[in-house]
Parts: sequence; C-alpha cells; structure tokens
Amino acid sequence: MISEHAHKAGEASYKGNAEEGIAYFRAFGVDESLFRAAFAAALSRGGDWADLYFEHGISQSISLKDHKVDSAFSSIGLGVGIRVVSGDQQGYAYTEDLSKDAVVRAASSAALIAESQSAASRFESQGFEVQTRANRYPISQEWMDVEVAQKVPLLTRLDEEVMASDQRISKVNIGLGHSTTAILIVESTGAIHFDRLPMTRMNLSCTAEDGEQRESNGYNLAGREGFEFINERRLEKLKTEAVNRTLFLLDAEQAPAGSMPVVLGAGSSGILLHEAIGHGMEADFNRKGISIYADRLNTRIAPKGVTIVDDGTRQHDRGAINLDDEGVEGQRTVLVEDGILRSYMHDRISAAHYGVKPTGNGRRESFKHTPVPRMRSTYMCAGKYDPQEIIKSVKRGIYAETFTNGQVMIGAGDFTFYIKTGYMIEDGKLTRPIKDTNIIGNGPEVLERTDMVGSDFEYDEGGWVCGKDGQSVPVSLGMPTVRVSEMTVGGVNA
Amino acid sequence: MSELLDQARRVAEKARALGAQEAKVVASRSRGVDVEWRDGQLERLSDTTDQSLSVSLYVDGRFSTHSTSDLRPESVETFLSQAIELTRYLEEDPARSLPDPSGYEGRSTVDLELFDPNYEQVSGEMRRAEVAELEALARQASSHLGDKVISVSSTVGDQFSEGARVHTNGFEGARQGTTFGASVSINLKEDDGKRPVGGGYSYRRHRSDLRSFEDIVAEAVESAEGKLGAQKVKTGSYTVIVKNKSISRLLGALLGPLSGAALHNKRSLWEGKLNTQIVSPLLSLHDLPHVPRGLGSAKWDGDGYVTHDRPIIENGVLKTYLIGDYYAKKMSQERGMQIQRSGSGLHNFQWSYGEQDLKALIADIGEGVLIDRFLGGNSNGTTGKLSFGCGGHMIRGGQLAEPLTEVNMSGDIAGLWSNLVAIGNDAYPEGSAHSPSCVFKQVQLSGV
Repeated sequence: MISEHAHKAGEASYKGNAEEGIAYFRAFGVDESLFRAAFAAALSRGGDWADLYFEHGISQSISLKDHKVDSAFSSIGLGVGIRVVSGDQQGYAYTEDLSKDAVVRAASSAALIAESQSAASRFESQGFEVQTRANRYPISQEWMDVEVAQKVPLLTRLDEEVMASDQRISKVNIGLGHSTTAILIVESTGAIHFDRLPMTRMNLSCTAEDGEQRESNGYNLAGREGFEFINERRLEKLKTEAVNRTLFLLDAEQAPAGSMPVVLGAGSSGILLHEAIGHGMEADFNRKGISIYADRLNTRIAPKGVTIVDDGTRQHDRGAINLDDEGVEGQRTVLVEDGILRSYMHDRISAAHYGVKPTGNGRRESFKHTPVPRMRSTYMCAGKYDPQEIIKSVKRGIYAETFTNGQVMIGAGDFTFYIKTGYMIEDGKLTRPIKDTNIIGNGPEVLERTDMVGSDFEYDEGGWVCGKDGQSVPVSLGMPTVRVSEMTVGGVNA
Repeated sequence: MSELLDQARRVAEKARALGAQEAKVVASRSRGVDVEWRDGQLERLSDTTDQSLSVSLYVDGRFSTHSTSDLRPESVETFLSQAIELTRYLEEDPARSLPDPSGYEGRSTVDLELFDPNYEQVSGEMRRAEVAELEALARQASSHLGDKVISVSSTVGDQFSEGARVHTNGFEGARQGTTFGASVSINLKEDDGKRPVGGGYSYRRHRSDLRSFEDIVAEAVESAEGKLGAQKVKTGSYTVIVKNKSISRLLGALLGPLSGAALHNKRSLWEGKLNTQIVSPLLSLHDLPHVPRGLGSAKWDGDGYVTHDRPIIENGVLKTYLIGDYYAKKMSQERGMQIQRSGSGLHNFQWSYGEQDLKALIADIGEGVLIDRFLGGNSNGTTGKLSFGCGGHMIRGGQLAEPLTEVNMSGDIAGLWSNLVAIGNDAYPEGSAHSPSCVFKQVQLSGV
C-alpha cells in the first residue's frame, strides 16, 4: 500500500514522544548533526532564535462518481522549513531536499534576516532536550493498515442508499480522504517536539432533479481519527444530511433583501464567530495595529452572556492539536469572557511582543509556510435562552441553518457568510425555506447586537478549512442558537 | 530543463516497467524569493525551493494520480510501485485513457517569452532597496492623511519555475518561466475605530514590465482613502458599474459552469446552451493562449493538446464549453453521442472593449453605484443564483459620491450578464483576464 513507506520510516507506534520523532525522521537522513549544521548556518548572522520544522505527510483519497469508485489520489510531502527570528522579523527558507548541503543552504538564506555577525557560534554549546506530549488523537486503526478494497464498499453502499432514498436524486459524488502528517520541531534552545496528526474526511454531494428544476448540495464530516472514524452513525448522517439539504433547495427561494434580525441555528453558524471575531483576534494583526480589535483588549465588545473560546484540546476534533507548529502546547484560550475581550490568539512572536505566554495558536499549512496565529476550534458557549423562544421573538427575519463559506476584512471588520439553507421567520414562526443568500455585517457591531444566546450549544463536525496569508489549515467551530438583532441580508426583490 | 525532461522520461518508463500500461508524468521545480517591508524596517524574508513529481497512471483500465516531493531514487520506485498497486483496487473506467496523440501535433513555434533573461541579475540588495523604496513612496503619497495612517507595508518578490511533461504515447514538453511581483498596503484608522486597508500591486513575467512604483502606490492610496467614512447603501435596484479590477468575480461565476466536470455532474446552468444567446450581445470574450509574456500563456494544455485562439462568447452567444479529454470521453459514453473535446484551459482574455473610460462611464450613468471590491458570497453554478458581499461608491450627478460598505449584490448569473449595458475601454493592466469596467442595469443591492 502507498502508506507503507511511512510505516517503515516510523517503525514504532506513536506515543507523543520526541525520541520517536527523531527515529521516524532518521529514515530520511535527519539526525543531530544535521540540526547542529542547520542552526550554525541559521544563526551565523545573529538572530534571537531559530527553529527547524521537518514534515513528512502522506495523504490518500478515493472517489466515487457514476456509481463507481474509479479514481484515487495520493501525495507525499517531505521537507524542512527553517526560520530565523530577530525581534518581530523573520527570515524563512524551506527545502524538499534533506541533504546536509541543501539544508545548510536554506538555513543560510533564512539567516539573512539578521544583520549582526556577533552570535556566530552561539548554538554550539547547547544540547537537545526531547519533549513528551499528551495525545489528543489516539488512533484505534491506522489507515495504513486498511486496504483500498475495504474502503471501496463503503462508498458503493452509500451511493446505492442515496440513489434509493429519493427518485429525484440523479447524481451522487462521494469522496473519502485521509492523511497522516509527522512533524518534528527542533528549537535552537535545544527543545525537540514530535507529533503525528491524523485526519479523515468524507464528503457526499448529490444533484436532484424535479421537472426542469435542478439543485446540488452536499455534506461532509471530518476529524482527527483513523479508520475508526467511519462508523454507522456518521455514514447515516452523511447520507441523510446530503440528501435532505439537496431536496430542501428544490422548494427554497432566495431571501428577501434588506436589514433584518437574523437567528443563527446551533452548530455550523459558528462561522459567524470565525469571521466576525476570530480573525480579528489573531495577534499578528493586532501586533501590527491593523485589526479592528487592536486596542480593545479588556474592554466590552459583546453583551454580557457572550463567552467565546478558541480550543485546541478537544479530543479527535478537526481543530485539535497536541502542540502547535512552533512546539507550544495546544490549549483552550478564552477570547471573550462574558462580553469582555480577554486574550488574542498568539504565536511566539506576538506573545513576545505583548509580553505574554504563547497560546498555542502558531499554525502553518506545511513546511512551506511560516507559522502565524490561527484559530483551532472556535465556539461560543451556551447561554440561557430556549432556542424556540429566540425564534418566537422575531417578527420578521431569517433563520440561518447551514453555511458554505465566509470572509472578513480584518481592519474594517466587515465580514460575510453564505447561507446555503434556512427559513424565513414570520410572526415568530419558521415559514418559507430560503437558500443561497449572503449575509454581510461588521464584526464589532454584530457582536454588540448578539442579544440572545441559546442553551443548545452544538459542535459542527464538518471539514472546515480556514485560509489566511495563502495558507489553509483545518479548523472546527460550534455555536448555540443566537439572535443578532439586525444584519444586512443579501436577498432579492427589495 | 533537459534534466527534468530526462527525469520525467525515466519515471514514465519505470511506471510502465512496473505494470502501468500508460502514464503521464510532470516533473517540476522552482525557486522563489519574497521580501516584506513594514513601517520602515524589514519584516520578513523568504527564500524557497520546490521540487515535485506528479504521475497519472493507467493500469488495467483503471486510473489514479499521485504526487511526491521525496525524489530520492529509492523512494520514487517505492512510490510508483505502491501507486500502481493502489490503482489495481479501483473500478474500471473506460473513459480513462491518454488523449489521442494527434492533438499533440502542430505546436506553435512562437516565442512566448515566459522567461526573463535578466532574472539572474536580481540580487538580494536590489530586492531590499526596492521594497524599502516602495514602502517609502507609499508613506509619502499617503502623508496627506496624517495620523490616519497606522501601517504601511510593501513586498517585492520573484520566482523561477521550470517543468517537463511526458506522456507515454508520445507527448513531450518542457517550459520555464519567471514572475516578478511588487505590492503595497496602506492601513488607515478612522475615528470610529475601523481600520480600512487599500492595496496596489503589479505582477509580470518580466521585471521590466512591472508597473511603476508610483502607479502601484497611487492605486493603493486611492483604494484606502476611498474607504474612509463608508456607509451602507439603501436597499434597492441600481445601475451598477463594476470596476475593471473587480470584474473577475462575476466572470468566474459566468465561466465556472462551462467546465466538463460541471456539465457531467449536472451542475451547469449552461447545459444545452451551446451556440445560443446566454448573455448580453455586448459581450465577446476570446481566449488567447499565445500572448508573449502573458501570465496565462501556454503552447499546450493539461491534455498535452496544442492550444489555439478561440472565442468563448461571441456577441453574447456561447461558442464553446470547457471540456477536457476525459469528460469528453465520459459524457460521450454516458450519453451515447459524440461530445467534442474543447479543452478545459483558459489563458489570456481579450474582451469586446468599449469606447469610454471609467470616468466617462460614471458620467454617462449619472446615478448608480460603483463596485470596486467583492467580499465573500457565492454563486450556484447549478441554478445560477448568486449573492456577493461588496463595497464601492455611490454615483450621483455623474460623479463619485460617498463610499459604500457592507453591500450585498444578489441575483442570478444569466440575468446579471444579460443586463450588461456598457463595457469600458479600461482593460486592467494586471492578471490574464484584462478585464474592463462593466455597467449592469437593474442590479439588486442590499444595505439599510
């Protein structure tokens, strides 16, 4: 199988121990002498500190279309990123060639960020200390032990069940993908960290036809698990949600345009937090003074009762991390406590800038990127209102149930998110189904207008991907039902 | 170049030796350098080298694709063996085969000038000097905004890339190219705490073709300053001008559903519309793959087929779908009729440009809205429904008036482009779309 290579390289199973990490990467010629040579070059012109980020990632996916599992994709990524930090400044280089010459050449390029020649041999006296971590994503069955022949029937069964569920379903596409990424982080302080990050993702989309009308929609699930991720509950949910969300669209219309109350359903409406507040609280934007939240620390930014958390500790969660991509422990960070902004999300550079401890938010897409503050699992804690009471409180507005994407302008605070399905609320009741409607608002203003928070908190299990600075990382989100007293609804027929 | 081509040939031969009947191999590598300067000092410097190998395998009527950056010889052989073994587990797909090699013939001999021979002359000192100069120019040009300016940053970078493609049924091709970029961002702070940002950039194949720093900075200052004091629009139906640099969002919604994948999956509102009027007769859009120094220029497409100039839309009539070799075969088999391969790639666009510049268009419509940016939203290629966030300016009395923010544009793709009533002569100088500003009537905007 394609993943056997990793098995040979890793040899022992993962226990979160950096010694295993060193053993894992030794198969690629990575050893202590390479670390020493790299750091000698990286810090040859000075700099406060440096780190090496070795990565070996294996991914594989299979897909079904037209009732056949007839295509597959696999990839192997191997390389090292070398960073030299001097104050707030970073020099960065990466190479996919792990020979000593190539790594030293890359380290010498990263070193150019530093201006002084005074610290030429500073690394020589230091040793290395391995760091052991808790494991938030223990695996019961590694994907590398699963034959493709075991995966194929899962998809064909789902396809048959979806096609049989409603005669209006005319096309089904299903994908199953998984990856395992091994990272070894070596700091110039001598600390060494290792992690192996699993990820499994399934998606199912379908097209439904009713006369001349045609609609497409889908659903996906993801988490940091092995083959055990695939269970009956999830398969049923994948199938049911994809079919229901597609058929729903046949009867739905775009929402009316204008400014009105918006009730966000529990679960995936956490996208509101991600866009309205999350990015603006990433500390790099605040360090540079360009976020709308740059001077709002310890001030009220939301009504009492609103508490927002960014959490990397939820076991098997898509946004979970044992450690971030700078070697800092994954943590639970309270961003907003009862309406007061308490913390930004920090990487090491921003934490040093603010004189606080890093919060374990220094993440990167791969060794090809520098780490920057990123979200993990971002959610709003449950409030006191019965969700039905929230709906009843709205005379005329919309209820947003499922979403596809969002975006934010960090400085201005303007953000959008796209409602795929929802309902009109008229006289306190859910009435007409709505679809394909963009919502736009301003982060601080929307938070101030979040005046009812439901008691029905729900995590979303979807495979959300967050983009920033050209980097994509997996994240997750959650939300109780909330009411925003007024937002701009991008509908039709004003 | 010859080294990469040799590598691709060796891998293709090895794939056949290990059991694949056919293979497509792409070997590539690149080097990129970027320097970022912020508020008077160096912020970030990156110097990166990439290498990768991508292989598509045809094994016993089955198909898969694979990529790796672990190019140690022993790893590549293991990689290929495992990939071929994986492929054997899949179900057969009769539509999977290498393209007919007749399509490889007749490759253009024009020099696309994708490589700047002066690339090697660019030094670290030059990049640092330029990035600092760009930031200083932006700071100077925005000095009239006083303490509203909270941060100014600039980037300068360049990349060299080369790649070789080999198909086991006869295609071979290699190319190398360079790109150079420069950009600037100006962050402002308003009295209410909002911090709008404006930017300008230039990105070209040849360094000497980059726009002047003064032009880039002027674009950034105009963009940033134009967002100060922005208000919401009154919900209603407007005549809207979408500025040249922003029209690509609407163009993507228009062209996305033309793909073979969308058509095959019944996710295209344009199904059955070939050679029919789908949008305003004002719109003609041609794809030109052989523009010297063009960012989208290429002599062959993803199937290895030679590229040609072709109309996509002519006077509002859809002239071609964007169907590659695989989906042409797939749909032909599924529908029992011949579906022509038309090529899935788009390269450089030429529009049916009008006579007026943006200022004249604004004067001409008198009252309406100028959209100069999009933010989020989505379009549904199956139904054509769209809903985008955007911002810009009111147009009153034929002139730009108050800036607008938190605006939503809604409607449907066909209706919007059918309501295209004027096209500017102001092709945006960046990118490969060369988009002009476009005027649409009766556009639904939401605000207050």
